[in-house]
Amino acid sequence: MRFFEHIGKYLFLLRKIFSKPERFKIFMKQVLQEIELLGLNSIGLVVIISLFSGAVITLQLGYNMDNPFLPSYLIGMGNRETMLLEFSSTILCLILTGKIGSQVASEIGSMRVTEQIDSLEMMGINSANYLILPKVVAVLLILPLLSIVSAFLGIAGGLVAGPLAGVVKIADYIEGITFVFKPFYVFFAVVKTFVFSFIMVTISSYFGYNVEGGALEVGKASTNAVVTSSIFILIFDLILTQLLLQ
Amino acid sequence: MIAINNIGKSFGGKQIISGISSTFENGKTHLIIGQSGSGKTVLLKTISGLYQADSGAIDFDGRSLMDMNQKEQKLLRQEIGMVFQGGALFDSLSVADNVRFPLDMFWDVSEAEKRDRVDFCLERVKIVDAHNKFPAELSGGMQKRVAIARAIALNPKYLFCDEPNSGLDPVTAIVIDNLIAEITAEFGITTIINTHDMNSVMEIGEKILFIHKGHKEWEGSSKEVLNTENEALNSFIFSSKLTAQLKK
Repeated sequence: MRFFEHIGKYLFLLRKIFSKPERFKIFMKQVLQEIELLGLNSIGLVVIISLFSGAVITLQLGYNMDNPFLPSYLIGMGNRETMLLEFSSTILCLILTGKIGSQVASEIGSMRVTEQIDSLEMMGINSANYLILPKVVAVLLILPLLSIVSAFLGIAGGLVAGPLAGVVKIADYIEGITFVFKPFYVFFAVVKTFVFSFIMVTISSYFGYNVEGGALEVGKASTNAVVTSSIFILIFDLILTQLLLQ
Repeated sequence: MIAINNIGKSFGGKQIISGISSTFENGKTHLIIGQSGSGKTVLLKTISGLYQADSGAIDFDGRSLMDMNQKEQKLLRQEIGMVFQGGALFDSLSVADNVRFPLDMFWDVSEAEKRDRVDFCLERVKIVDAHNKFPAELSGGMQKRVAIARAIALNPKYLFCDEPNSGLDPVTAIVIDNLIAEITAEFGITTIINTHDMNSVMEIGEKILFIHKGHKEWEGSSKEVLNTENEALNSFIFSSKLTAQLKK
């Protein structure tokens, strides 16, 4: 029963979020601020994890492909497919949920327990729309871009690590990353990231917005936001993969 | 004038307040007093419309809150200023931006006029040279004063204060109390303050409403409050050794 109560409250919150902003100029200013806070401030993390993951995937593919009948360009191809199909969308979003999700939940939760949200409501402002919509728009705009950057960096990481470790030649790796390339996979990664970003930011906002109590409850809400968002990202990963790749 | 009639509110099946009626006049400072957990904050938030009353009627100068649609309620809220217990200032905004916030949201005037209004409100609460500071850099008393400045920014007809002097030293608490009383008289605002501070009762209380276990137990003036024979009110007022000795 609690699950259905949460679903109902979540849908009700979504209805509050997606209404016309009070002042469009202020809304646009907020969106830009959130792009910087939630998106641009995550670039460092995306760069590091993408480069290293791409490098590690390439090395592991190289070390596990000891059959001489398998051409070594498959290493580059394997890294490209892994980065595009799963890492730069699903794994990246799971990692970013830890950063962005907890940040959103704790920020909104703190505003709830210190009555800042009540203060907005008291002024006649739709607090959910004012606080959450800019975050949703910012994340939906920036994370798909970060996903493409992540795939590119992961492939670049493999290009550096593979030849350096001697598991693949540069020419073979480059042949691999261009071999039977399907542009649809880029679209697939962007669609998945778009959906996961929405899940991440709205579920985290939901947990923050409905905090009751004090600092301890804000911490719990932040943890619940990350765990629940991660579970739903994995569920929707399965659904989207089945829908888009069948 | 605000008139409440027989209002009740419950949460999760538990009745928090019930059957409370009273009137709050323009230009006067009204105090709702009572122990912690007596239902003061719920009453204040119900009158302000932040919580929806389960029963009864709330009228703002003849306009029934219960009969208002969402748009009308939104317009009414722009006539209400509220000072929350902890100030509820926006952490990410400077002092000036906090006061300016309601103006940006609801006033279609020039930048210069907004600046003037912010300066006026901050001067009125005696905040100087703190325009660019952030709430975390202010003392508790200053935070409350900025909260009052923000609450009066839109020229409210009604001012609600939830324990405005909680967590403040007695001297600062009196400063805040007097500031609210002055603003109330100066702008003809209908002010309702939640408190359990007897100093506030004696300093600024023009009308006192005593809430006990979610019910209105007593109503009267600050002069009458000390001579009341109401048992619950007496035990609330004279609960400390100091006040008990003073009574003797």
